[in-house]
Amino acid sequence: MSGNTPPTASRSPTATSPSQTLESASNGADIDRLVLQYLRAKGHNVAEKAFLSEIEGSTADARNARQDTINAEELAKTLAVFVHKPSRPGENALKETASVLSELSSMSNTPALQTLISNISSVGSEEILAEDPLDKPEGFRELVAWVEGSLDMYRPEFRPILFPIFCHFYLDLIQAGRKDAALQFFATFSPQLEAAHSATLQRLSTLLLPAHVQNDELAQRFRDEKYFIRISRSGFGLLLGWLTEGIGGEAMGAGYGFYGEKGKRGRVAVMQVVNNHLRFDVTSSTSASLPPNTWEESTGLTSSLIPHANGAQSKIYNPQAFNLSKGDLKLGPAPIPEDLKAETERVAREKAMLEGIPASQYDISLARPPAPSGVLVPTEADMPPLPPNFKTVDVEREVSAIRDARKRIRLEPSTLNGLDPTSPQASAIRARALPSICAYTLHDVPEGAPCCTFSQDTSLMAAGFSESYIRLWSLKGEKLRGMRSDFSANSIRDSASLRKIKEKKGSTTRKLIGHSGPVYSVDFDPLSGSAAPPKYLLSASADGTSRLWSMDTMTNLVAFRGHENPVWDVKWSPLGTYFATASRDRTARLWSTDRISCLRIYAGHLGDVDCVRFHPNSLYLATGSSDWTARLWDVQKGSCVRVFIGHQGPISNLAISPDGRYLASAGEDLAINLWDIGSGKRIKKMTGHTASIYSLAFSAESSLLMSGGADWTVRCWDVKSAGGPPNKRDATTPSSNSPVSHKFGEEEVIESTSDLISTFPTKRTPIVNVQFTPRNLCLVGGIYQSPETR
Amino acid sequence: MTTKPPKARTAQPHHTGVYKADSIKDVAEMLNINISDAIATALASDVEYRVHQVVEEAAKFMRHGRRTTMTTSDIEQALRVLNIEPLYGHTPHNPPTFRRAAPVYGHLSNNAASSGSANAGAVYFVEDEEIDFDRVLREEKIVMPKGVSWTAHWLAVEGVQPLIPENPPPVPREIDLHPPETAKPNGVVAAPSAPPLAMINGTGIANDIKKPQQQQQSQHLVKQVLSRELQLYYTRLTSSLLPPSSDFAKRTAALASLRSDAGLQALLPYLIRWVGEGVVGALKEGVQTENDGKVLEILMEVIGAILDNNTLFVEPYLHQLLPPLLSTLLHSSLPRSHSTQLRTISSQTLSGLLTKHSTTYPSLSPRIMKTLLLALISPGKSKGTREGAIRGLIGVGKEAVRQGLVESGGAKVVGIEVQQEMGNVVEDEALKKAVMDALHVLRPPSDSEMSDSLNLSDEADLQVATRLHDVLGEYFALYVGRDAAWAKAIIGGNINDGLDLVGQEN
Repeated sequence: MSGNTPPTASRSPTATSPSQTLESASNGADIDRLVLQYLRAKGHNVAEKAFLSEIEGSTADARNARQDTINAEELAKTLAVFVHKPSRPGENALKETASVLSELSSMSNTPALQTLISNISSVGSEEILAEDPLDKPEGFRELVAWVEGSLDMYRPEFRPILFPIFCHFYLDLIQAGRKDAALQFFATFSPQLEAAHSATLQRLSTLLLPAHVQNDELAQRFRDEKYFIRISRSGFGLLLGWLTEGIGGEAMGAGYGFYGEKGKRGRVAVMQVVNNHLRFDVTSSTSASLPPNTWEESTGLTSSLIPHANGAQSKIYNPQAFNLSKGDLKLGPAPIPEDLKAETERVAREKAMLEGIPASQYDISLARPPAPSGVLVPTEADMPPLPPNFKTVDVEREVSAIRDARKRIRLEPSTLNGLDPTSPQASAIRARALPSICAYTLHDVPEGAPCCTFSQDTSLMAAGFSESYIRLWSLKGEKLRGMRSDFSANSIRDSASLRKIKEKKGSTTRKLIGHSGPVYSVDFDPLSGSAAPPKYLLSASADGTSRLWSMDTMTNLVAFRGHENPVWDVKWSPLGTYFATASRDRTARLWSTDRISCLRIYAGHLGDVDCVRFHPNSLYLATGSSDWTARLWDVQKGSCVRVFIGHQGPISNLAISPDGRYLASAGEDLAINLWDIGSGKRIKKMTGHTASIYSLAFSAESSLLMSGGADWTVRCWDVKSAGGPPNKRDATTPSSNSPVSHKFGEEEVIESTSDLISTFPTKRTPIVNVQFTPRNLCLVGGIYQSPETR
Repeated sequence: MTTKPPKARTAQPHHTGVYKADSIKDVAEMLNINISDAIATALASDVEYRVHQVVEEAAKFMRHGRRTTMTTSDIEQALRVLNIEPLYGHTPHNPPTFRRAAPVYGHLSNNAASSGSANAGAVYFVEDEEIDFDRVLREEKIVMPKGVSWTAHWLAVEGVQPLIPENPPPVPREIDLHPPETAKPNGVVAAPSAPPLAMINGTGIANDIKKPQQQQQSQHLVKQVLSRELQLYYTRLTSSLLPPSSDFAKRTAALASLRSDAGLQALLPYLIRWVGEGVVGALKEGVQTENDGKVLEILMEVIGAILDNNTLFVEPYLHQLLPPLLSTLLHSSLPRSHSTQLRTISSQTLSGLLTKHSTTYPSLSPRIMKTLLLALISPGKSKGTREGAIRGLIGVGKEAVRQGLVESGGAKVVGIEVQQEMGNVVEDEALKKAVMDALHVLRPPSDSEMSDSLNLSDEADLQVATRLHDVLGEYFALYVGRDAAWAKAIIGGNINDGLDLVGQEN
């Protein structure tokens, strides 16, 4: 087939890139001569001419400069394997590969490159250039056969190796201009990787020309970064054995086996990728002792996802190492100013007297339980600057928080554990463990409402619409009245005169118009808590602005500009004044309501920042991104303090537990991950949703997690239970990867984990918002989709 | 459009994806440019890559728009952020409908076979609907879409999803799939009290029909129709009512629940059958014990409670409800200690039933009247039955009493019986009392001290007395005669024709 294609089309890219490479090297002339000789010998006349003209008229302009360096490095990597091979022929394979690895890890700059190039013998270069594209499919086929034929205990460990090698082979073939071969390769092998990596595969399949590979971000990340794989020591030894000797490959007598020349060349192709683009995190633990989903956390192109520790220090490749290096976090509750505390206690005592209940039931410690031991509590000095004096509304908020804590419905899902469903007490216990859910359904929304929220006192509901407006509803049936615009400022002296200029008429719903793109997020200010209706509303829109709306005047007060791109999410800080936005421009930003420019920019994500959440004590900000990671930032310093790697898709939503210790993240991989913020480790993965998850919420005790999504359900998860796959009746079959026919990552049905307590389906209503009131009633909001639309 | 010489296709055995080189060539032909196969292939690959870029970007807008269908507005937003001029004229309000044109099979069959793709050569096009102006102008008017509105309902109450129209019907899961998970305990849920927050409006909240998500097997006969909660409610209710225990509070609570709770409609047939069977059971055995009396008393109260419940639609079941009621009323031998009370209760219940339903069911009272009269007058009935009939007449109303006792001569029959059989004093007394009560209905008795008896010497009074004697019979005429006003009232309605009658006789 390669004979049919004209030499210019297929060969020139490969021919020119080494030429550029070698120019940059000091002793490039020798190589040039070698390449020319080779081309002449093979009869590629056109390529030879192109090569010559390239050498003569080479002016490396600014645009090519970057590519040059990349290619130089790559070539060096490509060569590395062959440099050592002829120099040390013989059977000492493991040592050899190890030395290559060590060589490569030390090599990152040009001096090392030069020494490598100078070592090239004529045999080596000959072999590079005689590369056959058919090696790669053959090599991959053998690798798959080897992985699937390996022992059960090693198979889960080996499977992650397939994917990066597949990607690199595909990119190699595309880059070499062999589109047909690449497509065939893709069609042959992608189905078995489809389940676990569909998003990446989809992206790769669109790359069809060498130019695409050069420009595409994902392809470049594959090229530039190491792909990390965690593997046990014995597993690593087996892999090396196969790579060098073909040990443990196909069954005896099948195919060409490892004796064939073709098989060897295939393995060499695999080895090339392994050497150049993979990095093995060799652990001493055996594969059996690791939980099944660990590979998600430690496998992939993680190095760029993890921020640099401090400037140009050595890169950290392990998210856990990074999280560890950042030290402890202050996750305790925010301190309450002394004067506010005293005033709150005084008012609370009065309230208790008035209502005729013991003052102990109106104690401030009800609403603010002391931090559990082992959690660092921030001091007032740690807090971001806040208004110096407290206001009446602050006291009211604190007092009503105490009352809410006293009247709260206690939800204890842990009592369900080991409960006999048929026992007479079961129903009572269940009622105590599970929440009541009140569903608010929007009807007749033709183009969708991306967001919806309830105020903390449940007096107001706001929804942002695709048609660029926000609509408010009074849930108490009160009239929403703004202020008239025809008044003179002089006439206003006190609250009574202020009340006079309120609009006479009003309805229970109100439209807020101002944005010029779909409104993606709305949030009521938390300052008045459950004591009074909120005063402000924030909204974020595709027009790149976030806006502040007054609930007194029902008008837009400020448009915060700064993001040039759609703003996906906006959230108030728990103490008011500050808020954070997340945008398509890959940053999250911190703002304060009294300034029109942002205070901090949190940059570092490699994809859109899709959602932001504040830690309950306002010291930290969690962001979820399309780069499949979530991060935790120090709000004031603006630095990243935790990175959470493990999702296999963009992160759609986050929630931080009220006790400040857990982060729940929902991803497009339809999983909810629960993270321990303090250590940055994943606690468990919860699956069960069958479509995108739109919203997450913790109950006030942090014991229950509610989620709602596009599968028209609200689900209820036990935070404290261990989770994991559901217990099967027949204990004889081990839970995972027991059937031999079960291919890697192949899971058609989403199995719900055992910590899914309950599922509440709705009628054709995707749930866009789930939240708890301060008294632990669950409110959900969704948009009814009538079956006729579209 | 896609008709191309087959040669061009066979040159490239593998598909380059969705976007074909042929399409590039078609576009080039439209622009009068001639391009080679190689360039077309390369361009097609590039076009596809760019289209994917846009689609990937648009998918973000779709995701953040909380939708699962990509719309033209998503594409427009994506083009905007990619700094490409948007495509105008596509609005999400009016999504274009794509039609698939049937492929031309003649010369494509080879290629389809060789490429192994089924939809090779399929052409989609945007349907351009022809608009008939005449029709559009004649058409009434465009219907404005309704504004956005919201409703609230309980998705779950303490972890149990109520079975209300707003919630989807439960999906029965295979029990043997995940037995420990699906066999979640589902609570008995009492009728939920008022919603915990004041803001919840009335729509779809007050409903106490609870539905577990996983309906379990049920040993009960009615499992297909009733939810588990209702079944449980039914068993709890019936067990707290019967057998008549000493737990008075429990019984009162059960009756109160029956009297006022909503959502019991589904139970109604079962409750009525239960009552019917209970009454039959209690009356069947020859000798009625004390216990049977209690049972009957409770069952009568149950009927009363059912009738009192405004949320129940009882009318279709009246024909089933009346037999136990009338049986109790007219049964010959009720337990002695309870007989009067039982007959009184049942007559009161009957009265309530009639006042409530006779308007919508006009033939109801005549029919009951007929039954009662038959029991009152026809010979051979026991005294108990007679008493019950009289009590029933009281329940039906004043006119019924007049018609039954006075006009049809019921009182006369009873009076004769009381005089004849001196066997059972108690029964006689009860019967007598019933008649007196009934007659009192016609006129409330005046104070006994003030009453003056009929003066037989007076002409008019004598007439009345005679008439009274004719109508009520000797026995009761005596009693009634002691109170002149009463006697007159009893005769009242037909005093004139009575006088006429007397006159004729004279």
